[in-house]
Amino acid sequence: MSGGIAPARAREVALLGFGAVALTLGAGGLLLLAGGYDPGAAGAAMLRGSVGSWNTFVSITLVRSVPLLFAGLAVALAFRAGVWNIGAEGQLYAGAIAGVWVALTFDGFPTLILIPAMLAMSCVAGAAWALIPTLMRLRLGIGEVITTILMNFVGIYTAAWMVHGPLQEERGIFPQTDRIVEAARLPSFIPGTRLHLGFALGLVIAIGLAVLFRRTRFGFQIRAVGASPEAAAVAGRIEPSRVIFITFLASGAIAGLAGAVEVSGLTYALYENLSEGWGYTAIAVALLAGLRPGGVVVTAIFFGSLRAGAGAMQRDAGIPSAWVDVVEALVILGVLGLERVRAARIVTDIREGDS
Amino acid sequence: MHSVKGHGRSWRTRCVVALLCVAAVGACGEDMDEPSSALRAALLTSGPVSDAGWYAGAYDGLLLIEDSMDASVSHQQTATPAEYDEAFIAYASAGYDIIFAHGNEYQDAAIRAGEQFPDVRIIVSGGGRVSENVVPLIFRLEEGTYLAGMAAAYMTESRIVGMVGGVAIPPAEGAFRAFEAGVRAVDPGIEVLEAFTGDWDDVAAAKEATVAQLSRGADVIIHNLDAASFAVFQAVREVVDDGRVAYAIGMNGDQNAVAPDVILGSAVIRIPEAFLSTARRWQAEGVGGAPIYVNTEQDVIDFVFNPELIDRVPAEAIERVAVTKSAIREGEVDLPRVIVVEGEVEGR
Repeated sequence: MSGGIAPARAREVALLGFGAVALTLGAGGLLLLAGGYDPGAAGAAMLRGSVGSWNTFVSITLVRSVPLLFAGLAVALAFRAGVWNIGAEGQLYAGAIAGVWVALTFDGFPTLILIPAMLAMSCVAGAAWALIPTLMRLRLGIGEVITTILMNFVGIYTAAWMVHGPLQEERGIFPQTDRIVEAARLPSFIPGTRLHLGFALGLVIAIGLAVLFRRTRFGFQIRAVGASPEAAAVAGRIEPSRVIFITFLASGAIAGLAGAVEVSGLTYALYENLSEGWGYTAIAVALLAGLRPGGVVVTAIFFGSLRAGAGAMQRDAGIPSAWVDVVEALVILGVLGLERVRAARIVTDIREGDS
Repeated sequence: MHSVKGHGRSWRTRCVVALLCVAAVGACGEDMDEPSSALRAALLTSGPVSDAGWYAGAYDGLLLIEDSMDASVSHQQTATPAEYDEAFIAYASAGYDIIFAHGNEYQDAAIRAGEQFPDVRIIVSGGGRVSENVVPLIFRLEEGTYLAGMAAAYMTESRIVGMVGGVAIPPAEGAFRAFEAGVRAVDPGIEVLEAFTGDWDDVAAAKEATVAQLSRGADVIIHNLDAASFAVFQAVREVVDDGRVAYAIGMNGDQNAVAPDVILGSAVIRIPEAFLSTARRWQAEGVGGAPIYVNTEQDVIDFVFNPELIDRVPAEAIERVAVTKSAIREGEVDLPRVIVVEGEVEGR
């Protein structure tokens, strides 16, 4: 079934990819036209603001994609094992709190100790945030969709409490932490741009997950449990609860990294509005990538470019952010929808090819 | 529970999309913004400019600068600290002369951008940090809320008044302390209730807090909220519709027309005028190195009674507010003050 349909697939991929973009841009354009805005100027601003120059692409689009990359990988890992971790947002905040706490507490340590410690602690915090939903699923049989969503609120409000209370800046005036020391700040990845090493770390994790899924026994177990825990247990002699436990916590740890990396690489302090729902966008990022780590890299950059372009649409084309949000949501819906149609057609092709 | 999808396709779609984007950019070309000698002013807000208050005032200020100074202007609403940096860099590298960052949340990013772009001037509303080109614009709102407190004290029959705030940051608390002081200056026996919802724009929380204070007997309620201020007016309107006598007090902008049936008056920051005078000052003598303070002296801060309800206000109250306003201008009233700006000059 490989040789026969491969060319058709490639053509289909190109066609539907183009269709998705054209259709959603068309719908978005019509919508802007209805609102009395110039769709041409909006589109030009969007492209200029996201991929208009090398520096724009690296310093804005790629920087925007970093938290989506980590959170997207976290979601993809969990979903592969059939663990519906909707809690990346809360795990991200837990990681950010832990990271900033390490940076503020051990501010005399050198970079080579401080940054690894921040990142390690953010993994622990993210995993700890995932631990409660994990145990509730494995011990009590309570679905993790609800528990992880609820833990998001706990995470978001814990961060808010931290910056108003225990971790508030020394002067006690503004709702933020003090800025972390230079030694706790991630170095630049591409000199002369804003892109920090967090992006490289995200790529490393993506490669690691790809190797895990393809080449390792545990990766196979994850996929088997994701396909059917019962079948995995019966036929593969796999212990699903062990696989789910490890995968869920690892997913939380990667989402936790997203928070610490954002603080260490970009904001240099914790704020209560650190994330604009990246943990939720990450679900679209992961699904659009077909839950493949390599795909997540591409879709995270795609969503990063959407956000980057949205800012430019406001600045250069005068389109209010509410319209920008609507257009962006349309693009996401369109791309996801067409992706699903394409997937269904490929399945049909495969079935016909088999018969 | 099974895996959502198979493998082997999605990344290729995304590659195609990315390639299309790049191709389209090539087609769009390098049509950069045309250079201009006129003032270019930008505004950043972290909330919607449709709030008829804090953000709307800033946006009106931007439009006022556009009209009065023949400037070219632009606005961006930003959501996260990462976005603050990005917007500053985008505006500064596009050659904007002056960027109004309307809220203290921008201060760290402003200092960073200021170091990177020494020619740009960044005005941070309520900001706490100064550098050669980052200038806090401090609104002495407490002068307006003090007057509002006096008006409230004359109008309350239950002798209980309320305050509903968003985030309990010192400037917001300072405005409430001054309101309290104004109330007590008229009648030290009046009880003053206070609540902070923790969110400037959370309509449900603001309404809940207002309803709670109304049910505890408060009959004049001042707010310090952004988009959620409508909820305060709505909650007051509901008890008025039930036959009670109660008032709300508007804040930040002149909100009297927003709910003319229930708003007694507004503690006003004339943000547009403050922005315009700041831009003029930038043009005339330059700004930087020190905060800019605006207050009742320049008529930027004020308390204005709602003309629709003013016939219900005793003449004594109107007189007292007017007299106190002149006294504040002369510096004769000792108001609770909030120190927001760090003492030392930072940066270059």
